[in-house]
Amino acid sequence: MNVHQLLSGAGPHDAITTEALAFRSYFRSWGWGGQDHAGRIVPGCNGSIVPLARLRAQPDDVLLLHHSARTQGLRELLALPNPKLLLYHNVTPAEWLWDQAPLVAVQCAIGREQLPELVEAADVAAADSAFNAAELRALGAGRTEVVPLLVDLGRLGSGTDDGREAPGPPTILFVGRLSPHKREDAVIKAFSLYRRHRAPEARLVLVGDALTTGYAEHLRALADELAPGAVTIESGLSDRELGERYRAADVFLCLSEHEGFCIPLLEAFHFGLPVIARPAGAVAETAGDAAILVEDPDLAVVAELVHLAVSDRGLRDELRSRGREQLGRYSAERVAARLRAAVEATASSRGSQPDVDPSDVNQLS
Amino acid sequence: MTEPEQAVERARAAAAAMRERGAYTDASAPERETATTPAKLLEWALIEPDLRDVRSTRRLGAPVTALKRLLVRLLEQYHAELNAQQTRFNVAVLGQLRELEERIEELERRLEGREPPQ
Repeated sequence: MNVHQLLSGAGPHDAITTEALAFRSYFRSWGWGGQDHAGRIVPGCNGSIVPLARLRAQPDDVLLLHHSARTQGLRELLALPNPKLLLYHNVTPAEWLWDQAPLVAVQCAIGREQLPELVEAADVAAADSAFNAAELRALGAGRTEVVPLLVDLGRLGSGTDDGREAPGPPTILFVGRLSPHKREDAVIKAFSLYRRHRAPEARLVLVGDALTTGYAEHLRALADELAPGAVTIESGLSDRELGERYRAADVFLCLSEHEGFCIPLLEAFHFGLPVIARPAGAVAETAGDAAILVEDPDLAVVAELVHLAVSDRGLRDELRSRGREQLGRYSAERVAARLRAAVEATASSRGSQPDVDPSDVNQLS
Repeated sequence: MTEPEQAVERARAAAAAMRERGAYTDASAPERETATTPAKLLEWALIEPDLRDVRSTRRLGAPVTALKRLLVRLLEQYHAELNAQQTRFNVAVLGQLRELEERIEELERRLEGREPPQ
């Protein structure tokens, strides 16, 4: 069997690109062929992803459409006779992006407009969270599968599970794109309150590529105003460096207002880091009971939660233990089994049979 | 030890107690305006690209960034003409939109004043 993956865009630090490459490794190990394509390819992908224009698919080949923004030439793709598996990663609502990045906002707005067409044309509709799957059902998808994001936590180094506290002053961490919907501005404000009223030596580390240089500057100016000298904003870190940031932190604080999955929560669990987060989008689902979820708009409550998570050893241990358990739900084996079942269901949806022994397929958990 | 399920309640109580002692006077999240208002549309109508957005995403991309910025500078006159034409179109469309809004408001006012049909 051949499976061709089609992405809206691809980049070396992009979670969906990383996942597509990991999927490809599984496909190879299952004896499947195919190639990975994207509409826009950022330099640094080292030829692993090729342009959509080079797609050459036989009629029985499965097309796996990763949807996270506008897909270039969608009509032509959907007109192809191939069985199609839609894997929906959610699309950031454009209203968060118009001010800072109009071109990205346009891609997102069109990406949402394209979704009903995709749902209608897909033989199997899947999403990486139940939250995203609910959006597909609202658009008429009869049955949806959940194939969680395949996260390779080992690339960040081994996690901390011995309860060792990070040395030095309390360090608060957030990892995610510097973008308005991630609300790094609220993280900076909450941190400044915590620092002013609870821990004058505390530090905040924000890690993520900036949506635009202008937005990164806006965040830097806010940090200089509210917590001068105490906030570090970093981007382009290697996996090893990112792992070090998690290891050196005391609390992971996420005030994002839109998340289709939120990989950094799992990364924080991997490093035994207590997580405080807004239950927006798929956050509550990804975090399970392993994070402290706070809806209060009052940032004083968030600052006090940070203080609690830093100072209450018992609470930290409990969250660490629950985080480890939650991670088990997203193990690569479970995700791979779901992926394989979804691809095979797609391949057989038009009457073609996968050239594998069905008894090989792991049972879904 | 605080159970995770009790943490938010404890934090709320602690924040309230701290407030009584004069702390946390300004603890609201920074405002974020996500609605597209007519005022915002007018602001966006004027196309003003920022040269700082012209950059290379490659590692060690500084020379590429410098080259791109040089090219943009060399083509500045041409881009200014394009921007002017696009801005003219945007502002004209906004003007038309405003006129339509006024006409709809007028029609709604008239409709409200009409007697219901017998």
